[in-house]
Amino acid sequence: MKSCLIVDDSKMIRRVAGRILKDLNFTTGEAENGSQAMSVCKSTMPDAILLDWNMPVMDGLSFLKSLRQMPGGQNPVVVFCTAERNIERISEALDAGADEYVMKPFDSDIIESKFIEAGLI
Amino acid sequence: MGSVRSLESGYYEALRRLTLEIAGVKLGSNTDFLVETRLSALARQQGYSSLEALISELFTDGNTRLAVQVVSALLERDLRFFDDKAGFASLSKIIWPRISAAFAGDKIKILSYGCATGQDAYSLAMTLSDIEDAFPDLAPQAGFEVTAVDYPSRALARATAGRFTHFDVQRGLPARSLVKHFTRDGEDWVISDRLRKRITFQEFHLLSNPEPLGQYHLVVMRNALARYAPSAQMRILRSLAPALETGGYLMLGSREGLGDLNFGLDPVENCPGFYKRRATRYSEDEPTLSGAVSPAREAG
Repeated sequence: MKSCLIVDDSKMIRRVAGRILKDLNFTTGEAENGSQAMSVCKSTMPDAILLDWNMPVMDGLSFLKSLRQMPGGQNPVVVFCTAERNIERISEALDAGADEYVMKPFDSDIIESKFIEAGLI
Repeated sequence: MGSVRSLESGYYEALRRLTLEIAGVKLGSNTDFLVETRLSALARQQGYSSLEALISELFTDGNTRLAVQVVSALLERDLRFFDDKAGFASLSKIIWPRISAAFAGDKIKILSYGCATGQDAYSLAMTLSDIEDAFPDLAPQAGFEVTAVDYPSRALARATAGRFTHFDVQRGLPARSLVKHFTRDGEDWVISDRLRKRITFQEFHLLSNPEPLGQYHLVVMRNALARYAPSAQMRILRSLAPALETGGYLMLGSREGLGDLNFGLDPVENCPGFYKRRATRYSEDEPTLSGAVSPAREAG
């Protein structure tokens, strides 16, 4: 069973995404911001990270850049999951090392499709 | 669950017969919801006061264009970009290099038969355009063009516009392809002019003879055959085969096949769903329906 860390400041989004990912056979963990996510990754690197962009303390892009510098930080598949829909922002996320990009709102079909695209399923 | 029927019961059977006659597709017996939702939307779009008013004109006035629109609305499919990735992988790695080598110097002509909302045609164009960008020396010198045909319908109008919703572009389309080949316009995503210019969308009755469309190096009809009645499958395949240039390829879905039928087409080894047209024409004595591998299943 693969693991996925859900990083989002919205409890509701974490809950909905968690339910979808459990149905896709993932074990899930949660973090409310990039800083908490860094702590989790230092302890145990997940197989995948579903990552929000705009969060307090440390945003998703800063987290992603730091993650990719960490030992083993190249390994997790990172799927951005954000309300940001500008092409420039999507390009910025991909250039920073994101593997895929989900625009909110999402449904289970979109998450599954993007996880397949990223080679996680 | 209670009945959703708002029309007299005879109309539902009449609509099933109409769909079989016009498109060769057998609707399932439980299509009331489809009729109510899709045809109510069509009635609103066409300015009818109600679904009943549309149905009344359809069956009392014999409006043939409306009949085609009704059938197209009933058969509209929910498509995804790059659906069936195995087929696109075979196309990129094996079939396209062969086509480029065999028809070097020609502009490669591709026919997307039954394009619906256009995801297949655009996925093809994205795939081939990416190959051109990455390996310019291996791409056909004169480039490629896609002709995409289907019944006149709301789906074809959407395909022609090249405009997709937030949900459409997140099903099967990699984020890098979205960034490269689309621009954002309000809440929608629009295919780039560069790709849009390479595709011609055209109204066409899929059960009619495709000879006027000309000949193609690649004909694509993916994951659609199974919805047709066996006689319609035969008719489509028999008339599509001559639309291929000798040495050209037919691309079905990677889980579809011709079975014992061949229409002058040979399966391509290690490329499920691909067939190559051989030099000699097929015989009219080809085995018939009993050999069909993709049995028609009921749509709806």
